[in-house]
Amino acid sequence: MDRRNALKNMFAFVPLSAAFAGLTAMGIRFITPIKREVQRRIFTVHLEELPVNATRKYKDLMGKDLLIVRTGEREVKALSTVCTHLGCTVYWQKDKKEFYCPCHQGRFDKDGNVLAGPPPRPLDSYKVELEGDNVFIYFKDKEG
Amino acid sequence: MAGIKNWIAESFPVDQEALIKLTAEPIPNHLKRWWWALGGTPLYMFVVQVITGIMLIFYYVPEADKAYESVAYITYTAKFGWLIRSIHRWSSNIMIAALLLHMMRVFFTQSYRKPREMNWMFGVVLFLLTLMFGFTGYSLVYEQMSYWAMKVGTGIAGATPLIGGWIADFMRGGSEIGQNTLTRFYLFHVVLLPVLTFIAVGIHLYLIRAHGVTELKFKGDENKEKKTYPLFPDHVFTELIMVSIIMVVLVVLSLLFPAQLGDPANPNVTPLHIKPEWYFYPVFRWLKITNLTLGVLGPMLFLAILFFWPFIDRFFEKRFPGKELGFWIGIAGMLLINVFLFWEIIGH
Repeated sequence: MDRRNALKNMFAFVPLSAAFAGLTAMGIRFITPIKREVQRRIFTVHLEELPVNATRKYKDLMGKDLLIVRTGEREVKALSTVCTHLGCTVYWQKDKKEFYCPCHQGRFDKDGNVLAGPPPRPLDSYKVELEGDNVFIYFKDKEG
Repeated sequence: MAGIKNWIAESFPVDQEALIKLTAEPIPNHLKRWWWALGGTPLYMFVVQVITGIMLIFYYVPEADKAYESVAYITYTAKFGWLIRSIHRWSSNIMIAALLLHMMRVFFTQSYRKPREMNWMFGVVLFLLTLMFGFTGYSLVYEQMSYWAMKVGTGIAGATPLIGGWIADFMRGGSEIGQNTLTRFYLFHVVLLPVLTFIAVGIHLYLIRAHGVTELKFKGDENKEKKTYPLFPDHVFTELIMVSIIMVVLVVLSLLFPAQLGDPANPNVTPLHIKPEWYFYPVFRWLKITNLTLGVLGPMLFLAILFFWPFIDRFFEKRFPGKELGFWIGIAGMLLINVFLFWEIIGH
């Protein structure tokens, strides 16, 4: 078989290569873990137990820490306490009404937005809903 | 570009001449016949097994109370899991079928004769390793059939005279089937057997290369000018066509008959219709019609004859020259196996 013929024959394997590519794609899809999450609406606290400017520690369904803060008469925030910089735990500073990260002096406002320091993005937040005086939070959960 | 090329050539020196010499191995013309591509098929299937097997390990959990669940996850939840598992399963079946055909081809063309006795023996070892792959593989699913196959399989091993008790305990990792057994079978299936197979395949291929392929004369070949053709690219193309066809067959089989999942293993209830994979049918039938000792010694004797066949054949050839005794013994052996195989199929 000369070079020209060998190249010509090679074309016959274009469909074969395509099939291999397809199977490879399926294989990659297979070994990539499935991320299917559902939202669960969960009762967390009653407004009577949470005075304005007070906080309540909580854990979400994945076990991550969050802080529920009553920022106004009828305003409640739920924010992750994991600093978006390098993962240290942030604290709620009552007097300044700010979140503060002691590791690298990152500061966040009551909505989790970055005020100062190195954090690249706002704190992760959770959707909060008030039903009467009951505070409900939407948490992500694994399906099943 | 030239700089990169030079750098690669310098840091990874390859002797071009030697490479061409190695890959352009002259191959006798008869290998253009499809029947001769059967030896490469099990190797290709083995590659498919290794790739899909590694993928299955991503999710498989070798724990007695989680193994079945993890297989169920692969089959029903993971993306394309059913396909990966089905291809793994079907390629094992095709591998064994192709091995049997390859062995038949080598047997009836007497390609195991001097100086290729050793390569035949390594071939038989590879066949045994493949059967062990099958057995340990379907045990890992930990469904009812897996559990009771382990029970029966280790029971058979236990009936081996003298050392049976030790072998059975070694396989089970104790006196009962349980977590230790699963751990061991997992270890056999994903570590020990693959390593041994890689080594045996390496030796098998080396010996083929060292001895060259047996030259056979066929009608119509006499007139051809060239008696040989190069391995690369000519024969490699033949093999690639074979690979394409088998891949289509594999995927179609997996689509039409995907791997099933039975009930989870229950040590308290033996299923009514217990049966192994088809390639164990002949032994399974043999076990039903003999007592246990004979049931174990029979297959062992068969394997011993198979293993030492090149020497047995030579003995017959010297003692009864020209009688082709080996051929007729082969036919008789195949008939016997087929009788047991179909007896078992019909017996269900």
